[in-house]
Amino acid sequence: MLLADQTAIHAAPFDEISFDLCSRRKDVVMMSADLSKYCQIIQVKNELPDQHLDVGMAEQNLISVAAGVAKAGFVPVATTFACYATRRAYDQMMICMGTGPLTSIVLGFTPGIANPARIHHQAAEDLGMVRAIPDTTVIDPMDMTEFQQAMNVAVDTPGLVYMRGHRGNTPVLLDPAKYRFELGKTYRLKEGGGVGIVSTGHASQWALEASAILDAKGVPHSLLHVPTIKPANEDEIADFCFEHKTIVTVENHQIVTGLGSLVTEIVSDIGGGPKIKRIGIPNQWAPGGTLGYIREQLGLDAPTLASRIEEAAQ
Amino acid sequence: MNDMTNQRVLRLELLAAKIRRNTLDICMQRGGYAGQGVALADVAACLYFDEMRDDGEGWFYDRFILSNGHDAIMTYGALAEHGSYSMEDLRTYNADGTWVDQSPIEGQLGFEITAGSLGQGPSQTAGIAWGERMKGNNKRMYCLFSDGELQEGNVWEAAMFAAHQKLSNMVWIIDNNDLQATSRTQDVLGVEPVPEKFASFGCFARRVDGHSIPDILAAFAEAKTITDRPYVMVLDTRIFAGIDCLEEALPRAHYVAKHQADWDAGLAEINATITNLERQING
Repeated sequence: MLLADQTAIHAAPFDEISFDLCSRRKDVVMMSADLSKYCQIIQVKNELPDQHLDVGMAEQNLISVAAGVAKAGFVPVATTFACYATRRAYDQMMICMGTGPLTSIVLGFTPGIANPARIHHQAAEDLGMVRAIPDTTVIDPMDMTEFQQAMNVAVDTPGLVYMRGHRGNTPVLLDPAKYRFELGKTYRLKEGGGVGIVSTGHASQWALEASAILDAKGVPHSLLHVPTIKPANEDEIADFCFEHKTIVTVENHQIVTGLGSLVTEIVSDIGGGPKIKRIGIPNQWAPGGTLGYIREQLGLDAPTLASRIEEAAQ
Repeated sequence: MNDMTNQRVLRLELLAAKIRRNTLDICMQRGGYAGQGVALADVAACLYFDEMRDDGEGWFYDRFILSNGHDAIMTYGALAEHGSYSMEDLRTYNADGTWVDQSPIEGQLGFEITAGSLGQGPSQTAGIAWGERMKGNNKRMYCLFSDGELQEGNVWEAAMFAAHQKLSNMVWIIDNNDLQATSRTQDVLGVEPVPEKFASFGCFARRVDGHSIPDILAAFAEAKTITDRPYVMVLDTRIFAGIDCLEEALPRAHYVAKHQADWDAGLAEINATITNLERQING
């Protein structure tokens, strides 16, 4: 399902995705709290103004107005940075959107450390917060292909759907002709025994980078990509974990409450499973700066990540 | 007042009295937000039995959104008269295991949003109003919220948005009873002058006597003449207004427990009011 050529880059993923979606689906409304430009919603705003609604710099209003727009028969896509959607408007997400059956999508951009401004603009805990809400759908897509396909699924998924977004130069790694995103499905990107690596979202890009280094070093490993954090496919995750003596989880999220926690919950409920090493953002304030710099600071750059995976396997 | 107007008002006063009786009947079982239900009976009668249009299928064409969940008691009292709830079911209000929630969840008949987390009704109603207008229909949206909710920032974010979008298909009704969970609103965190605040946010706002049915009807009529702004009805109400003995005994009751109120005296008074109104209507 991966493209042989992994070098394609899309410069404005959500501009294309939102315009394509709104052109086909007249019931979809792109909503913003004064961040359309920074979430790359350009064409919809300019060319389909009836499907673009800005509520001003007010995220609680963004989410609650969006919940109302859903109750008028539309499919709202509330876009903002992940930190504001979850931290500032968590109650509105849970109560206004999360308690009913109507499709309401919240798209959190620049999640984890994918924002140069430290702490206040970074959302290292969003997945954990949202997956605690009953009956919610939580998706962390890994690239342009999956982001687009997951959006197409989200607009027909009942209830609150929280998804992490990509902006700016975003790789096209999954082959649009062969890959099909299905809610709840996990994807084995590499079968190779050895250490089992489980990743999601941006961190699946990092896992692929580390995988290339591990291959060069001759370290056997397997890769499982888990885009749907909730409802988690417990069977597929457990099957993968119990095929390995060591599991390493990799996520662009705190190692508390995110993918690593999810995997350990699933495995420990069964008991007698593999050793699980959680790699991601530690439970401490991350630095700011370029993504490359922050990754280096946190030991998430490809060479360090590969070494940490190799160490965990020993 | 001509005869037709008089009959219209008398009919609504009778419905309001029956809503008050239903409120006592429901709350005397296990306690409840009786003071609010009684106080809001006048606006409820106007809203459910005069202002909102029928959809021809036993429900309403226009949409009512309750923001403060505890005022569900008002909706219950009104919908019992409407025939869409039975008093038998409503008497289970506040009982363990009942589906008749004190503060209902989205989807229960008559409740469009989950309203227990305060301050979130105005913005959701604004979203509904934006969407209904976008669909090109002439539905009107009504949202009830309380003066205490004005302390929540989300309400003012919604006011800015609604005025900016010129949502004139929407009426916000504020239950301005100077009472919140622990004390008088003016003692906890004053919110007055309420009409002036909403006017400065770009809404059309008017203070209305919440216990005058002619004044409430006039405000609803005026709202339809405002075509470039949302309409905010600042409804001055008094806890238990319309049942003198209870208003005197429990003027600041946010929640009335079973043993606090003299339910029998209240029922006797409201039954006498109903008999008197029926006599006037029937000549």
